[in-house]
Amino acid sequence: MKLKAIIYCQMLMLLSISPNLIQAQSGIRGGLNGGVSDADGRPIAGAIIQLEPDLHQAQTDDKGNFQFKNIIVGDYTLKTNNLGYQPYNTKVHIRVGQQATLSIQLKPNETSLEAVVVQEKVAAVDHLLDIQRSAMPVTVISREAIAQMGSRRLDEVLKEQTGIAVVNDIGGGARAVGVQMQGFGSDYVMILIDGQPMVGRNSGNFDLSRISVSNIERIEIIKGASSCLFGSEALGGAINVVTRHGAIQPQALASLRYGSLNIVDATLEGETPFHHQRGSVNLSANYYRTDGFNTDPRFMNGTTAPPYDDYTVQGRARYRLTETSTIGTSARYALRKSYMEQIFGSGDSRNTAGDSQDITDVNVSLTYDKTFSSGLRSISRYYLTRYISDMSILWQQSGTQASAEKFAQTLHRFEQQFAYSPVRNLKLTGGLGGSVEQMDNRDFNVPGGLWSGFGYLQGDWRINERVDAVGGLRYDHHNSFGGRLNPSLGLNYHILPTLTFKMALGSGFKTPDYRQRYQVFMNPVANYLVIGAELLRETLEDMKDAGQISEIREYLVNQLDQNLQAEKSLSFNGGFDFTPSQNLKINVNAFYHNLYNQINSIRVATGISIRDIYTYENLPESFNTGLEGSVAYSPFTNMDITLGYQYLVTKDRGVMDSIRNGTGAYASIRDNATGLFRESKLSDYFGLENRSRHMANLRVAYRYTPWDMTANVRVSYRGKYGFVDRNNNRFLDRYDTFVNGHFLVNAGVEKKLMKQHLSVQLTADNMMDYTDRLMPGQPGRVLLLGLTYRFYKN
Amino acid sequence: MNTTKSTYRLMMLLLLPLAFASCKKDEDLDPWAGLEDGKSTLIKDLAGDTNGSMGDEAEGKTKKGFDVFLFRFSDKKQIWLRNAADSARWLKTDEWDLAFTGPYNSEVFVNKGSYEFNPGYGGPATSAVVQLDKAYNLVNDAPSDGDFEQSDVNKIGWASDQYANGWFFYSLDTHIMIPIKNRTYAIQLPDGKYAKLELITAYQGNPPEVTNLNWPAPYFSFRYYVQQDGSKNLRTQ
Repeated sequence: MKLKAIIYCQMLMLLSISPNLIQAQSGIRGGLNGGVSDADGRPIAGAIIQLEPDLHQAQTDDKGNFQFKNIIVGDYTLKTNNLGYQPYNTKVHIRVGQQATLSIQLKPNETSLEAVVVQEKVAAVDHLLDIQRSAMPVTVISREAIAQMGSRRLDEVLKEQTGIAVVNDIGGGARAVGVQMQGFGSDYVMILIDGQPMVGRNSGNFDLSRISVSNIERIEIIKGASSCLFGSEALGGAINVVTRHGAIQPQALASLRYGSLNIVDATLEGETPFHHQRGSVNLSANYYRTDGFNTDPRFMNGTTAPPYDDYTVQGRARYRLTETSTIGTSARYALRKSYMEQIFGSGDSRNTAGDSQDITDVNVSLTYDKTFSSGLRSISRYYLTRYISDMSILWQQSGTQASAEKFAQTLHRFEQQFAYSPVRNLKLTGGLGGSVEQMDNRDFNVPGGLWSGFGYLQGDWRINERVDAVGGLRYDHHNSFGGRLNPSLGLNYHILPTLTFKMALGSGFKTPDYRQRYQVFMNPVANYLVIGAELLRETLEDMKDAGQISEIREYLVNQLDQNLQAEKSLSFNGGFDFTPSQNLKINVNAFYHNLYNQINSIRVATGISIRDIYTYENLPESFNTGLEGSVAYSPFTNMDITLGYQYLVTKDRGVMDSIRNGTGAYASIRDNATGLFRESKLSDYFGLENRSRHMANLRVAYRYTPWDMTANVRVSYRGKYGFVDRNNNRFLDRYDTFVNGHFLVNAGVEKKLMKQHLSVQLTADNMMDYTDRLMPGQPGRVLLLGLTYRFYKN
Repeated sequence: MNTTKSTYRLMMLLLLPLAFASCKKDEDLDPWAGLEDGKSTLIKDLAGDTNGSMGDEAEGKTKKGFDVFLFRFSDKKQIWLRNAADSARWLKTDEWDLAFTGPYNSEVFVNKGSYEFNPGYGGPATSAVVQLDKAYNLVNDAPSDGDFEQSDVNKIGWASDQYANGWFFYSLDTHIMIPIKNRTYAIQLPDGKYAKLELITAYQGNPPEVTNLNWPAPYFSFRYYVQQDGSKNLRTQ
């Protein structure tokens, strides 16, 4: 009994060979059919199956199936070795005229449970470009890792990753939260779902809590300029969320979590193959709610982070029309309703802000996938996404509106991709596409929308046993913005079997957004006006004619009117992977990102009733550089320890020059404690706001097989980071306000019951209940109890 | 068995960081701590024109969106200028010490009838003010009469850089007013007495750092001390 349990838990391969008579085989030949799946019974597509000694090769299809026909009878050794899974070997005997059937279940690699660096090979159903083979370093978080964390929303998963932080943007309002990666702010990180861009940002911030992690297959994180893959916006990196797809047997899942902050996370998922495995369908529905929380009870009531109710339904279906062609569709509909109260003061001077936001988010795609007899593979895709946000803040006592914004964004996109291997060690992937984007806003809109077209080619070349290279080139053209070419190059050199050197170079760009180009935005609270660069002169002239201008800085207006350039970046990553033994993996990577033409606001005029009038300018240069390292160690079976660390320096070269030259406000530092001034030195400059020098995380997971239990503890550290320039010399120095460095401790315990059908999970986030009023988005301790039941045939 | 033991040992090791994980102490966040010295007057959360807004230019308003109010030190009186009659009654008198004007009432004047852009222009008052980059409690003496005469401080509002006159900075990143710490104003009042003034915040509740774009404002907190004997001794500690 015990032995049986151990075998099951360690997910040793299950193996069954059932001979199966077939008609048309004759002489000395036979065949073999089979399927490859993972430990949960899901198919693994794209796995290479080899029969030795004859070196017959086959690759599994989307259903995880493979076939060998007309092979000479006898004993073979079947081998398969797939990234993310343990190598698998077995003996097979092929009999005359029979087609043997074999089902292979692969045990996950110990390391695929890591949060730090995980690799897992799943054939592209969305994209012929293998994102995991991109030049820039890629981190993959598997479904298993997410499940162990017990996380509910995407932001929770990501903020536990090395070098990634989720940051509140105070200037963007209480709901502006975004991700920061290797020092790049949320504006520069593209968010994709199944390889397609998601839209809808708040002051440049993409709120990752919009995305539920239920029904996610894996998350791919690309650090560094990736415009070569995704075009504009992927200037600093990209996060691709891959939803669940494919099914080999009908199964379903029901899960419910409840706990602190009245958080409810309820999920229903189902998947099934149909029409003799030719088609598959996956459906899921998720409901999530939270009361929000208040990290600032000393100064206000209500919540600092919003309560909300989120509803998400999503589905995918694929159907194989013929042997070589498949159609697919995926759709996602998400709805958020949120109402947040923030109550300041008390008694007669009580001020209650009623802040509401409704978000609707739709993503739909249709694909047609065809493999030609020449080996050329093609995917044609249409993608549509629409995002609508309706936000308002009302002061309840006075009935006055503090702000209101209604905003809708629609993107249509068509893409045609090809992949072809002219020779065995070279894979070429290319594509052509175009998109049109429309945005409607109370304050601005662009007739006809923004058009763009793109084309790219990427090569994945295994030069020899030791060296492989990935290179690519992409051209993007925007209807009002001209073209841009982005190259990338990645190189892997296997110095020793245990040591690999990796290097990557790439460039990125980001066109100015609608807001920066066309919006004329009035902030009545702070009494300033921001004019989009395209409308600068026009708007100022109108205001001047209406007698509303007292001064225009003409030389700036001449320079900036209709002259806002795209932001650009250059990224370098280089490092080593060292695997001295089976249970130890060390990775060190240095990165350097240079950012040019960063867009910033600048004052160009003074008004009569509106005091300050701004537009946008390009700043010269800034950089993010640092080092990241990870260690994954498994001291004994079922115990995994991973440690990650990132050192980061982010500085603006313009600021550095101004300090060096003693320009204006930069020349001196005021010590707020004494009121005294002194000359500033370059060494006083701490770097950009919101960036920690040091970030680290430690994760320990243990699986106790006799009890079918797993437990994990995760500690993450975020070093101190700048909050605001308090002495007004325009850069962060030690007299400014910093958010204290802090540790957050998360833990989870899970037990499986009823032959693994039922799982009970207890999770504790932020166990030490660490909060800081300067981190309005970081909740205190959250305890949740979850039950998950899986329906499937044993 | 051996494995289990080493597991426990490892678990202990892993729990070590927890011991170091700095649990946030309930720091005393009393924003008023240290502001009351027994001699000075501390005004907390004096509401400015909270209903005011800069007004949409499209509506063609020429009138400022915020009503001006005056403040008198002697009886802590807040005097609203809601209409022309109010202005006529109060502005050109020596019955007020401070005027809170401009957007969010954030631009403060002392009562100086001789200065063209002073709200009390044309009135009898002859106040003067000197800006000192020094902690309030360390300002023990009023500056010399010469310093008052030569002072070019008129409007005390947004300081565009750290040297500029003004009692707050404004962050263009977060759009939040940041009061300048340890900046004190020495004032010669209309009645000739000397006083010192610290403008603490315009945000309700005096939070140490404003963390919300819509934090209610203007709610003025400030403290002052008037030397009643007419001397320049402004010692408050």
